[in-house]
Amino acid sequence: MSGWAQFKAILRKDLIRELRTRDMLVSMILFVLLAMVIFHYAFTVKEGADLTYFTGGMLWVTFIFAMLLGLNRSFAQEKDEHCLDGLLLCPVDRVTIFFAKTAGNLIFLLIVQAVAVPVFTLFFIERSYAGDVLPFLVVLLLADVGICALGTLLATISMNTRSRDLLLPILFLPLIVPVLIAATGATTLIFAEGAGFADLVARLLFLLGFDAVFLVAAWGTYDFAIGE
Amino acid sequence: MSDSPDRQESAAPLEIEVEGLRKTFGRREVLKGISFSLERGGFLSIFGPNGAGKTTTLRVLATLLTASAGSVQVAGHDVREDPMPVRRAIGFISHNPMLYPDLTAQENLRFYADMYGVEGREARVTELLERLELSHRRHDVVRTFSKGMRQRLAIARAILHRPRVLLLDEPHSGLDPRAVDILDGLLADIRAEHTFVMVTHNIAKGLELGTRLMIVESGCIAYEQAAGGDPASFTAVYREHVQEGPLL
Repeated sequence: MSGWAQFKAILRKDLIRELRTRDMLVSMILFVLLAMVIFHYAFTVKEGADLTYFTGGMLWVTFIFAMLLGLNRSFAQEKDEHCLDGLLLCPVDRVTIFFAKTAGNLIFLLIVQAVAVPVFTLFFIERSYAGDVLPFLVVLLLADVGICALGTLLATISMNTRSRDLLLPILFLPLIVPVLIAATGATTLIFAEGAGFADLVARLLFLLGFDAVFLVAAWGTYDFAIGE
Repeated sequence: MSDSPDRQESAAPLEIEVEGLRKTFGRREVLKGISFSLERGGFLSIFGPNGAGKTTTLRVLATLLTASAGSVQVAGHDVREDPMPVRRAIGFISHNPMLYPDLTAQENLRFYADMYGVEGREARVTELLERLELSHRRHDVVRTFSKGMRQRLAIARAILHRPRVLLLDEPHSGLDPRAVDILDGLLADIRAEHTFVMVTHNIAKGLELGTRLMIVESGCIAYEQAAGGDPASFTAVYREHVQEGPLL
């Protein structure tokens, strides 16, 4: 049995379960849409005010909190129904479980973003960024990988604790700040000034480095993280 | 710490060897140096009060917990140094079925078959669903199953990859008589090809199935014997060690 086949089996199982129950997706999408409505009223202090320089921050803060909701749920059933024991009994490398779970979380976050970004654009972006869609998608993907890799690792660590709902945000939010800064800066540049790849190099490299660091960290520590 | 270690020397090779097993959670020592062995094809029934360390022993054998000290070999492999072959060799049946409630019976078995790399997946899944009288519910999500049906499906999950060793953690717990019959029938069918370790509070069932009996108390082996003696005398020994209520 190959690690790739096991990766696909775990991912397929998580996708089927989520598409059947919609536990995670519905709560994440509802949260994101409601947050945008709240932001819309909270920041519209003056008719016609230019919110362009707030947009990147609004977008990424919303996605990070939405992902927290999803991460809490992504391991809840594995733990509550003792399915994690079933998974750990299988002859599977623990890192394969990490990559499959991260990939699943990434897919769910991308689905949420596919719904949220058009709504966000309608609410907050005055300038068309149709020409900068490609750099924006690269920023989304790199930041999402970082959020999901770090989030999956920390959700795994916190799931074995009594106060997992509290511990996950306490661990996750401070550590995700570098991604928040880089992604917010890049997104705001794209929305405000139509930045291309050349203007974003430093931020994209930073996101890439963050992704690499946490993927490697998870590679080295996941066996311990998911253990007893 | 065995009162009567009247072990039978057997020609069969050892399938499980446990030597000086200790397990500590924080400052609490749950297992205090347990040692036993079981020959291939044997059936060890482990009894003891709640919190004695029975399930912890089983979880160490299953690689779900790491021993704090001592050595544990299952199917010829060290559970700490070489866990993958051990995981391939064992099936674990617990009172928690370890099934995904929002997947169908068939999807659950397909998932575990893929995880174990079972060859001829569809044929094996169909065979087990039929054998456990669940084929008529194969497309229903497990959430809609009764406790007995879930337990039957859990048995299918555990033997799907044809393990050599079956670890049973109170497998009869909460089952209706029909489900008990099916479980017992299945255990009888596969008895010859497997080695079993069963943790149970059900003295009658443990005596009926076991070739070796063990009482664990406060993290130590308080008593062990080969099967075949008088059930009433074993029950008396159990009462003497455990001081519990009605047993049979």
